[in-house]
Amino acid sequence: MNAVEPVTLPGSNNPDMTDHVSAIALRSKPFLWWWIAVTPPALLTSILVGSILYLFYAGVGIWGIDWPVGWGFAIINYVWWIAIASGGTFISALFFLTRSEWRNSINRIAESMTLFGAACAGIYPILHLGRPWFFYWLFPYPNSMGLWPQFRSPLLWDFFAILTYVVASILFWYLGLLPDLATLRDRAPTRAKQVVYGMMALGFRGTGGQWRHYHALYGVLAAIMAPLVCSVHSIVGLDFAGAATVGWHSTMFPPFFIFGASLSGFATVLLLIMPLRRLLRLHRYITTRHIDVLGRLLLTSSLFVGYAYIMDAFTTYYGGEKAEITMFQEKLFGYYAAIYWATILFNVLLPQLLWVRGVRLNQVAVGLISLGVIVGMWCERYTIVVVSLHRPHLPSSYGIFHGTIWDWLTMMGTVGLFVFGILMVVRLIPVISMFEMREILAPRRP
Amino acid sequence: MPPVNRQWRGLDRLARDPAFVARASAEFPQLAAALAAPRDRRGVLKLMAAGLALAGLSGCDDGAPGGVLIPPVLPPANAVSAGSRMFATASVMGGYANGILVRHDNGRPIKVEGNPLHPASLGGTSAIGQAEILGFYDPDRSRGLIRDGEPQSWSSLLTALAGQRDTLGRGTGFRILTGTTTSPTFIRQTAALKQRYPEMRWHRWDPVSRDAVRAGAIMAYGQPVEIVPKLDATDLLVTIDSDLLDSAPGHLRFARDFAARRNPARTDRMSRSYAIEPMPTLTGVAADDRFVTSPRDLVRIVPALAATVLRGETPSDMPGWFAPLVADMKAAHGRTFIHAGPHQPAEIHALVHAMNEALSGRGATYTLIDPVEADAAPMHDLLADMHAGRVTSLLIIDSNPVFTLPGFGEALKHVPFSMTLAAETTETGGRTHWTLPARHPFEDWSDARAYDGTISILQPQAKPLYDGLSPHTLLALFAAPGEADSRDLVRQTLGLADGPWHDALAAGLVPNTQAAVSSVPLKPQAAQAHPSQPPAAETTLLFRPDPHLWDGRFANNAWLQELPRPLTKLTWDNPLLVSPTIAARLELVNGDRVSVAVGDARVVLPAWIMPGQAPDCAVALMGFGRTDVGMVGQGAGYDVYPLTGGTGPVTLHKESGREVLACTEHHDPIFADAGDYVRHGTLAAFKAKPDFLGGQAEPAGLYNRKPTGPAAWGMSIDLNACIGCNACVVACMAENNIPTVGKQQVIREREMHWLRIDRYHEGSPDDPNILFQPVMCQHCEQAPCEVVCPVGATVHDQEGLNVMVYNRCVGTRFCSNNCPYKVRRFNYFDYAAEERRPAVARNPDVTVRARGVMEKCTFCLQRIAAARIDADVANRPVGADEVKTACQAACPAQAITFGNMAQGGDIAERKKSPLTYALLSDQGTHPRVTYEARISNRRSDTGA
Repeated sequence: MNAVEPVTLPGSNNPDMTDHVSAIALRSKPFLWWWIAVTPPALLTSILVGSILYLFYAGVGIWGIDWPVGWGFAIINYVWWIAIASGGTFISALFFLTRSEWRNSINRIAESMTLFGAACAGIYPILHLGRPWFFYWLFPYPNSMGLWPQFRSPLLWDFFAILTYVVASILFWYLGLLPDLATLRDRAPTRAKQVVYGMMALGFRGTGGQWRHYHALYGVLAAIMAPLVCSVHSIVGLDFAGAATVGWHSTMFPPFFIFGASLSGFATVLLLIMPLRRLLRLHRYITTRHIDVLGRLLLTSSLFVGYAYIMDAFTTYYGGEKAEITMFQEKLFGYYAAIYWATILFNVLLPQLLWVRGVRLNQVAVGLISLGVIVGMWCERYTIVVVSLHRPHLPSSYGIFHGTIWDWLTMMGTVGLFVFGILMVVRLIPVISMFEMREILAPRRP
Repeated sequence: MPPVNRQWRGLDRLARDPAFVARASAEFPQLAAALAAPRDRRGVLKLMAAGLALAGLSGCDDGAPGGVLIPPVLPPANAVSAGSRMFATASVMGGYANGILVRHDNGRPIKVEGNPLHPASLGGTSAIGQAEILGFYDPDRSRGLIRDGEPQSWSSLLTALAGQRDTLGRGTGFRILTGTTTSPTFIRQTAALKQRYPEMRWHRWDPVSRDAVRAGAIMAYGQPVEIVPKLDATDLLVTIDSDLLDSAPGHLRFARDFAARRNPARTDRMSRSYAIEPMPTLTGVAADDRFVTSPRDLVRIVPALAATVLRGETPSDMPGWFAPLVADMKAAHGRTFIHAGPHQPAEIHALVHAMNEALSGRGATYTLIDPVEADAAPMHDLLADMHAGRVTSLLIIDSNPVFTLPGFGEALKHVPFSMTLAAETTETGGRTHWTLPARHPFEDWSDARAYDGTISILQPQAKPLYDGLSPHTLLALFAAPGEADSRDLVRQTLGLADGPWHDALAAGLVPNTQAAVSSVPLKPQAAQAHPSQPPAAETTLLFRPDPHLWDGRFANNAWLQELPRPLTKLTWDNPLLVSPTIAARLELVNGDRVSVAVGDARVVLPAWIMPGQAPDCAVALMGFGRTDVGMVGQGAGYDVYPLTGGTGPVTLHKESGREVLACTEHHDPIFADAGDYVRHGTLAAFKAKPDFLGGQAEPAGLYNRKPTGPAAWGMSIDLNACIGCNACVVACMAENNIPTVGKQQVIREREMHWLRIDRYHEGSPDDPNILFQPVMCQHCEQAPCEVVCPVGATVHDQEGLNVMVYNRCVGTRFCSNNCPYKVRRFNYFDYAAEERRPAVARNPDVTVRARGVMEKCTFCLQRIAAARIDADVANRPVGADEVKTACQAACPAQAITFGNMAQGGDIAERKKSPLTYALLSDQGTHPRVTYEARISNRRSDTGA
């Protein structure tokens, strides 16, 4: 069995790394595979635009939502995407604070994932509204109606949380790019690229004073981001826990959502770095060590999530409320039972394979498990949103929910948007944080 | 006039424009004279200003209908709304009148209310009566005179009628076909026609026939008599497949009288009621016990019951409930009333008459009166004559036999001159030579009698929306040339002087016109009547009218189409109702397609399992599957009338395929159970401990902020009184501009009813206890919806109302998720705009909701606001019972009480009832709506 490689392969050094990584972004023509890979996401993104336009024209009735299931794919996908986004923040901010040097190789990919995950998530709450053109009424701005939003509503705090998170993520991502943009500016082969990268680098020249300020600011932002990722998920959890609705009214939700966020975040990072590492020949800098450590993190998160599932069952039966038990039985054995059991299988059982080192080092197996987790997390959100709502207190208001073609097209559209964004990052900016890699690599060629 | 965008320096230029001067002098000669006179500059300017202003007036609307009228957002200063006014008239169903009041706002009829003075209504209405206003505004109503598909002028009709008057001679081939009628004017006119055409005949056709009731009375008394039950004086009510509370003439009154004896917290003489029936009826569901009995057993058991009551025999082979029932009937001697429904054979009616007489009920629990309905020849005579070619002229008024009677369309081909007068598009109208649009009852003068004979005048509520013809005018035209005014005809019939006439119009009834009490003695043969035993068959097929579309005449009424049927909660469809036994035998689930054949007639339609239906019974609901109807009713349901013409054994087959039916309740039989929601118990338990079901076991809250306003609105719903008739649901739709959404949207669980009637089954599917519970916004004092709305679109007011601010709603739907009662409805599409309903038909006091907005019951806030204004003007608090919600006003059984609890009154009294409980009280919502638990009074429930 292979031994786990170190964080960078022996013999790696700064000049080689900088040459390799900046050359990818500065290529005059993209790779052929890039053209092939970007076409389907571009198509899906235009489908997303089309379905959003139709949604605004026709109304949310084109979706499968009904009475009593008033929330559907929009909320499922919102929670799903925001959880995926969080994985990047965990790696780039949390592990920055713990000075885990392996995160330097993958934090750019992880942060880009955060950015586009959060973008996909951020679309949904607005699309979800019956009258989306009034979404700004959630914002406490002085207005002629003399009205404030309602500060007791979890949705309002959700609006603040997601806004803060998206803005902070963009800032953190962009700040982390500055030194590398300066490198690209210095190496740009054409005048146009020099100007564009130069403007984006905001005059970063790498003087000692700039670096001192830069490190201070980056550290502060990381210290903000790390708790922020927890708060945003707690608030998302409170969207549900704050309601008296059957299946939602549980204090467990905030930590439960953080567990789920880390699980899907790590899975998505794995799904991104493994193919990019091959396609861009980054084996030297993204090694099996990274896959191994992310696999361990995935397993740990999976155990947390499993614990949450057990507690979910325990509190339901221990609490003894009839409607809760009815709904839980329905979750286990009812119309949507397959979705619940798929959740358990993909989120808890399948990741247990990662106890085995051989599996952790088998990239195909890790990829499949990660994909399973992402599907499983979607199923989990489906269970939370739809299954809880379809069995309210009164049997007379029991109902059923099915996503329509527009639900699915919108969802696939955001997947397209996400992949499209990642591919744009691969094309235009360094996929590895070069200046941070320089901290752990040999300074010159041997 | 010069174009506006040309620049000018002074108005003199305009005065020199020859075209303008010419026009001005033509229109305003004085102005021209003034212009011609010598003038100074100031004079010219004055004249020109006046001239321009007058020229501008020519652009004004002359007020003719057809234009788009937009109500002002801010009413102009000093404009005073006319307010709403009530005008009495009557709603005629099956020929019998229920008194109603029509509310007019800004001069347009808006809403139907019951007439408290009218004996058949006492203020209550039925679902159908409530929906009549929508039928009035129906844009699909027939219009224009048509002969053989070609539009005709009024004069060509007069010519045709003149030809008829000449050729009819003694009226040998002249026939008139109508539904059952009680109209004195109509009866007088036909009598007059009969004098002119001595050999003409008047026939009657009702697809939902009460002929057996009539025949049974003749069998028992030798002459037609009608029964007037007195349910408030009845201690034991035994109903046999009865429609007493849901559709019999006078049913609204009966529901009121029945309910008055059903709540032991308010009456110490709670009545007892048993129902013997093959399929659940509202009367049976309201009873203490239902004895599910197949029609074949009924013709055996009822004679046995009669033998026991009349002759003291003790028949063998009777079901277990038989002996206790007989004991109860004997114990309640003189206080028992037995009622049989119109679908039972005449012999059973005769036996019931005999039993009622033997139990000394006559005069005590019911009276017999002279017949109210007009006597007319039966349909089968007409059909035979038509086939034989003996009918030369046929006038069909307000009847649709081509649809409702198999074979009529064929027979119609043998008639050389036929004419239909109907307000709606009908299948018959397309098949007769002439089709005349009738006036809607809200557009015309007429009269009708109530179940007890009381005469009501139907007065028009609006100018006719479309050109139509009154049946009275048409009959008069058959008698003589010259248009007779229907108002004059009615007035001549009633012979009232000015004073009494106006009083009768205001009151909605002509006093002291009840039919005379009949003293005819029972014929001894009545006791010997013996119904014939139907041939043995595996399946018995029963035909029943759809509870809301009736025989199909309301098929174009969207409110009624989308009204969940009381027992099945189905909308827009009429599957075959099969008993659980048949379903098990044929392995059917709801929606499976089955073919029903009666002899040669065969119909394929979906099946629906009806708990509590006799094991051998399948029930076909009539009224659906109309083909020539407006856009609403087109394509809804299946026409089962062809089966009524079949002869031979009934066969049922399962076909391949399954239909999706629009049902508004999606019970899961595994997990759903009642009891917690509809609390119910026995009279014995109540007597032992009156509050055994009530009590507000609400958890203590951390903070309990009671609204502290000058009024405290609350509602109490008596589940003992509710019979599930749906009148409140339609009243709510009419009052609050609630849109219908159509079958597909109901299937997608997006119906908009603010008020729904939950129905629960309890016990075995073969004989379940069926329970109703009206649920609307509970106006929780601790409302879960309010805290989760991010924009504060649903808030509490100081009078305890949970109010919804439509303008502020952004549509997160969180409030609906968080509502434990799920009473909030969301506009997924622009339902109101898609409705086939003119804007003038809407209640102007209630906002029409846009797409993307949540809505729900407001406790009829607009009515509260109106009362509040009145009270403010008089500087007094709003009285306890001053406001009636639409549902409360419509309820025939007075199950719903609403009022200002801060002022005491009925509502405060009812809230003190020991039976009061809050729905889902463990949720700590402190709802302002409470329920009174249902108490049953079976023999076993009293400990006897």
